[in-house]
Amino acid sequence: MNTPGEYLRGREMTRPFRAKVDAVIVGSGAGGAVLARELARDGRSVLVLEEGGHYTKEQYGAMPPSEAIRSLFREAGLSAAVGLGDTPLIATLAGKCVGGSSVLTGGVCFRVPEDILHGWSNDLKLPDVSPDALDPYFSEIERDIHVETVPDHMRSRSTELFVEGADKMGIPIKSLRRNTSGCKGASRCNFGCPNGAKMSVDVSFLPDAVQHGATILSDALAEKIDMAGGRATGVRGRLLDPVTGEPKIAFEVAAKVVIVACGSLHTPVLLRRSGMDDVDIGRHVTLHPGFRVGALFDEAVHGWDGALQSVYSDHFHDDGITLVGVYTAVNVLAAAFPGVGREHRRLAKRLPNLAFFGGMIHDEGGGQVRRWISREPLLLYRMSPRDKARLLRGIQIVGKMAFAAGAKEVLLPIFGSTTFKSEAELDFLTERPPSAKRIECMAFHPLGSAKMSIDPRGGVVKPTGEAWSCDNLIIADGSVLPTSIGVNSQLPVMSMALKIARGLRADWSTYARRAM
Amino acid sequence: MSPSAPLTSPAPPRPYQRTTFRARHRPVVRGLAEAFFSADGEVEPAQLDAFVDEVDRFVSPASKTLRWGLLVMLDVVRWAPLFVLGRFSTFEGLPRAEKTRMLEAMDRSKIAELTLIVVAYKTIMSILFFESAIELSALGYPGPERHRYRRGLPLTTPTAIPTPLAAATTTTTTTTTATATTTS
Repeated sequence: MNTPGEYLRGREMTRPFRAKVDAVIVGSGAGGAVLARELARDGRSVLVLEEGGHYTKEQYGAMPPSEAIRSLFREAGLSAAVGLGDTPLIATLAGKCVGGSSVLTGGVCFRVPEDILHGWSNDLKLPDVSPDALDPYFSEIERDIHVETVPDHMRSRSTELFVEGADKMGIPIKSLRRNTSGCKGASRCNFGCPNGAKMSVDVSFLPDAVQHGATILSDALAEKIDMAGGRATGVRGRLLDPVTGEPKIAFEVAAKVVIVACGSLHTPVLLRRSGMDDVDIGRHVTLHPGFRVGALFDEAVHGWDGALQSVYSDHFHDDGITLVGVYTAVNVLAAAFPGVGREHRRLAKRLPNLAFFGGMIHDEGGGQVRRWISREPLLLYRMSPRDKARLLRGIQIVGKMAFAAGAKEVLLPIFGSTTFKSEAELDFLTERPPSAKRIECMAFHPLGSAKMSIDPRGGVVKPTGEAWSCDNLIIADGSVLPTSIGVNSQLPVMSMALKIARGLRADWSTYARRAM
Repeated sequence: MSPSAPLTSPAPPRPYQRTTFRARHRPVVRGLAEAFFSADGEVEPAQLDAFVDEVDRFVSPASKTLRWGLLVMLDVVRWAPLFVLGRFSTFEGLPRAEKTRMLEAMDRSKIAELTLIVVAYKTIMSILFFESAIELSALGYPGPERHRYRRGLPLTTPTAIPTPLAAATTTTTTTTTATATTTS
């Protein structure tokens, strides 16, 4: 076993950094952390490069939401997919810190639905991705990040009200599973758990990797994958300046295997910048566009007391709609209220009486990631008419659930709208649909920008995770998922990464021989 | 592997120090804050001035491209009175009520881009404004204390108050699962 590794901060380094390792991993999120642990446990020397900063769970847990947004989120939480045609601007949130987006999830864990896996197996002919074949990987990850069913007593009153509304409409509601241990229902998981209860990879997988010798280098921007003779040989980039945050001091890492796991938005940018020209890089991006509906009740709801997310409904699965309970920090909720000035403040003062519920749609994959004039990518997204209809229908269903539960006013995610006071007023959503550009929409699961395929003409990576066009270059994040999955992506990404890691471990001698 | 400068630190990393707003943007941001949160003059002028720095600090970690976009939005707001209200004035030169009226018009505009400008800045500024302890309290938010999770905690209930004599021999406790009645 290796001696324990360490956490290094690039912004504290004053000289160029050079290293030679068995495996360099770009990205410390759900995919990269799994690879780091697996390879370190196998006795390989591992260096993980993370562009974001390193904060302990105590440090980010003490941050107010605004501080968490500016410190832990990419683009200070302001990144968005630019809508083409009749498509909303979609806020696209992703993490930029050690642990990546896993630090910022609501903790919701779903396996990939079986019908999706059957499609991967039967239609796309991908090997070993049937429900039975993936079951051991799902099970192992579920154990390691402590996936548990949210107990009923952790439901907030906000959630209970929507469950009541769903019951009256005959919509079955189920309890979610989340990766938590000791959740106290702070209802702000997506800004870093204040109680250290969320088992994100920075508290589950990365410490294990470091214990087994891996080194985590934060504030390190990977700019290019070195390649020679059709094989990846290392990564180079620059450490971020401690004052400006801009790239400054160069680093260079030579490695037998290069693993890219910077997420669906940044993996394609790094591949392109490194000279790869596969036509599918950056294409087919799915987002799971999501929405949130507010409801004003006469009773005091105090929705902040309880799990951020605790229930869902797959009743509309065949229609591509998943309904999910949701809440968040109160100042962030207040930001989404309609109106300007007095009207906005009037609603903000009703916050204790407000409940929220939401949903997301299983989309077609109309997104494309492109290199842009800054180091952040340009994400373009064209929503299909089918997906727009799904989005509006989902909003309407949740609005009706709110009225069924006794809401007096409903706040729809439609820019420029006022509150709605009766169920009949919601009919316009399907009868006279507004422009999609007026829909407030967000996405947390960008996937599929370097998808897996059994043929180099159909995707970017082989079923092993290795790039079709470059030996010893492994991609192991959400970008390899071949289609939209319609559910939260953390568990699927980690499980797929575990499958890739186990294959890499088993075949290490082949990769090592090529590197000689 | 031999890193050239193996440093570790238990303290959180210092935030980056860069800034975004130029002199011409600051009065526009201040005017937006006034329209959003001080329609009746309830926020002190000094607070509005300080708030501009908070907004700057919030947006400055974003990329150059995104920050440039945010500055362009402010330039649009600055000159919007001309084409939204038909007033020959900069936004910051408008009376408070007119500022609000202009933003309401932009919020309901058929031009979605104008709406997005209002939404973008309202979102950023509301996150910051409603995070202050005073505002949170005014909203009725009680702070970090939570109660619901306690309903699932095992209760340790002493069956008898131990006397010195009893304590010297045995202490009996029972463990049970809390019920809904334990919540407040």
